[in-house]
Amino acid sequence: MQAAECTWTHFEMLRPLCFKSPSTTPLFFNFSKHFQKGFSDSSFFRSNRRISNYPSFMATISSLSTHKDPVSTHDATPNITHQPVQVAKRLEKFKTTIFTQMSMLAIKHGAINLGQGFPNFDGPDFVKEAAIQAIKDGKNQYARGYGVPDFNNAIAARFKKDTGLVIDPEKEVTVTSGCTEAIAATMLGLINPGDEVILFAPFYDSYEATLSMAGAKVKCITLRPPDFAVPIDELKSTISKNTRAILINTPHNPTGKMFTREELNTIASLCIENDVLVFTDEVYDKLAFEMDHISMASLPGMYERTVTMNSLGKTFSLTGWKIGWAIAPPHLTWGVRQAHSFLTFATSTPMQYAATVALQAPDSYFAELKRDYMAKKAILVQGLKDVGFKVFPSSGTYFVVVDHTPFGLENDIAFCEYLIKEVGVVAIPTSVFYLNPDDGKNLVRFTFCKDEETLRSAVERMKEKLKKK
Amino acid sequence: MEGKLSSVAKNFTPSSIQELSQLAQKCNAINLAEGFPDFPAPPCIKEAAVSAINNDFNQYRRVQGICDQLALKMKKTHGLNVNPLTDIAICCGQSEAFAAAIFSIINQGDEVLLFDPCYETYEGCITLAGGIPVYVALEPPQWTLDPEKLMRSFTSRTKAIVLNSPHNPTGKVFSRDELEIIAEGCRRWDCVAITDEVYEYITYDNQKHETIAKLPGMQERTIITSSLSKTFSVTGWRIGWAIAPASAASAIQNIHIRITDSAPAPFQEAALTALRSPIEYFETLRGEYELKRDFCMKLLGSIGFRIQFKPQGSLFLFAELPKDCLLSDVEYVEELIKQAGVVVVPGRGFFHGNESCNYQKRYIRVAFCKSGATLNAAAQKFGELINAKACPKILY
Repeated sequence: MQAAECTWTHFEMLRPLCFKSPSTTPLFFNFSKHFQKGFSDSSFFRSNRRISNYPSFMATISSLSTHKDPVSTHDATPNITHQPVQVAKRLEKFKTTIFTQMSMLAIKHGAINLGQGFPNFDGPDFVKEAAIQAIKDGKNQYARGYGVPDFNNAIAARFKKDTGLVIDPEKEVTVTSGCTEAIAATMLGLINPGDEVILFAPFYDSYEATLSMAGAKVKCITLRPPDFAVPIDELKSTISKNTRAILINTPHNPTGKMFTREELNTIASLCIENDVLVFTDEVYDKLAFEMDHISMASLPGMYERTVTMNSLGKTFSLTGWKIGWAIAPPHLTWGVRQAHSFLTFATSTPMQYAATVALQAPDSYFAELKRDYMAKKAILVQGLKDVGFKVFPSSGTYFVVVDHTPFGLENDIAFCEYLIKEVGVVAIPTSVFYLNPDDGKNLVRFTFCKDEETLRSAVERMKEKLKKK
Repeated sequence: MEGKLSSVAKNFTPSSIQELSQLAQKCNAINLAEGFPDFPAPPCIKEAAVSAINNDFNQYRRVQGICDQLALKMKKTHGLNVNPLTDIAICCGQSEAFAAAIFSIINQGDEVLLFDPCYETYEGCITLAGGIPVYVALEPPQWTLDPEKLMRSFTSRTKAIVLNSPHNPTGKVFSRDELEIIAEGCRRWDCVAITDEVYEYITYDNQKHETIAKLPGMQERTIITSSLSKTFSVTGWRIGWAIAPASAASAIQNIHIRITDSAPAPFQEAALTALRSPIEYFETLRGEYELKRDFCMKLLGSIGFRIQFKPQGSLFLFAELPKDCLLSDVEYVEELIKQAGVVVVPGRGFFHGNESCNYQKRYIRVAFCKSGATLNAAAQKFGELINAKACPKILY
């Protein structure tokens, strides 16, 4: 496999990394060379008028050459006051990230990758075979924009099984290219420029990016170790009648936290009181280990104001198929469908047929999935504890967040670099999941969506080479 | 709760093409409306996809090989030098490539020029990004471009112009002279050209598709979007791309990653096989579609149409209703479904702007990307009507 093909596409954030030796990341170096070449040669960028409309490109170029963080002046509420700032904000979120660079670094050093949020094993045969059959049966043309009817039905049936809620697959289900697109379509379809949206940090990076595309005003509430509980008082003082929506990811990437019934009830009553929408990202709902997963939509009075989003990828280890969906009452589904129709128009047809089969998998499939992941988790968590990390409890997802400070590195990024180069293991620096990077500087994220041998090897390497200071 | 819809979403209406398709399904009508094939995709490409699934190409990926192939094609076909490492973004179909291109370029209040008639989705994208669509009407019956009208449409707020060639719905292929005129406008007003070239391999009568990017001063200000869908009859696979100067391509890739993260992985693998198809594949494709085009023209001729503009490319015939026909396009289409059991698309959905132009309600679009069996079935239906002389409303 060529190096470039291993490039992370599962992006996680945007601040440029202070690499000491850019030449170790050849792909990145090519990018920077071409940014500069493109900027100076192209008349498109030469005109002064145009340059003033592209502060983001300038910001990108300056960040590449000086390795400084152009967004260090971020506060919790990026205020969009006039057009140039809005442009800069929108495109500032869309720079190439350190993850591409780390990916390259990892390959160069032959590091074991426990950073990437996708499995190194494949999905179940019965789902793959269904996709193959669909291709052979000629299901290769445009699907209905909001989903293949059988698939919409299967989504509704699964939702009923999981939550008890009965929904109309024709009017309340929209199929999208992964949950990522469901989030983008929900933001663009339901959020007006200037609307306030509450986000919990740390967060999956596409949330902030798409909120910025929608022109939203982001209000961030930070979840803190050791249990990353929702700070209720802070929430109460942040939410108001001006809040348009709140975004909840449960089970939560990167911490593995699962929102408790108490937390969800409190958030629900605040939302009802202030007429706030809720957008939930529940892609890890089948990887719920320490407690039952609860969908916000199933709480009293909440279905009518909730968009529930999910996908195939994590549950069936087929992250590259890009099959996701959004479930919402008709008056919210409308906006989601409109935006979706202009973003991608339709979703991959054969994979929808396969996903229909997948969602009808017997209970035994999900039970075995959980058992397998719990075994993997045990290997990793025990290993990390033995090595000397402070490991925070993770109730769900296939992620675990740890405190790396016992090893004496100055911050999470420095630690991750050290871990790749000196130990040969990849983790993700969590500062990239926060609006204020300082909030994450003590924490890094490991994933256990890898086969057991890989996990054991990684633990061995760390035991051997990672020494406490 | 209605108030919770964004102002942009409230203005959107459902796709008329998709609604008609549903009516046609109800009546079991022969579908000459939607622009996708009802015949199978090429076997070797399907096999490549099956193979990819079996070989575990199922996680997030970005297949660099696609970019390498595209760069080779751009050089061979258009003489353009494209850097496969920096100038290409892989997206979920041309749809997403276009959306990401718009989001990468358009700020609130920017104007975007579009030729009228045009594919209905461009406007929605532009509006979603805060842009303002400005239409430049092509003049019937030959859909000619008026240079003065075009130049008058550029303002200091114009950021981009959208160029779809070969053109949906008319089948027009913009000539080199017309491309020069558009290029002149872009250079003079310092604008970006965003092209939709999905029908690039479907041209007729020895006409060749040319990309505006190869004109002087254009490569640095052009974003080309295209896809596998129409060339390889796999509209449901969602594999497309944008080719642009590095900074734009990078922005597009980064936006794509936030919208969908990755194009479907096994189909990216299959794209490698598709893009390596021998030249005979493309020649056969063109030849077969040309036969279908000719057949369709005869078909409409038999029920009284006088086709004034022969499609030079794309999968569509855009035909004006016979002069004696007093029905509007929508009325005609409904009659055709009910009496002939054939569905086509009323042309009005492709027109925008000036409501007083009568001709906007006088066109139908016929898709001929259909199997021989389908086209023959349509011919048979028409034949029955002609023989029975039963339907004055659709026979002229």
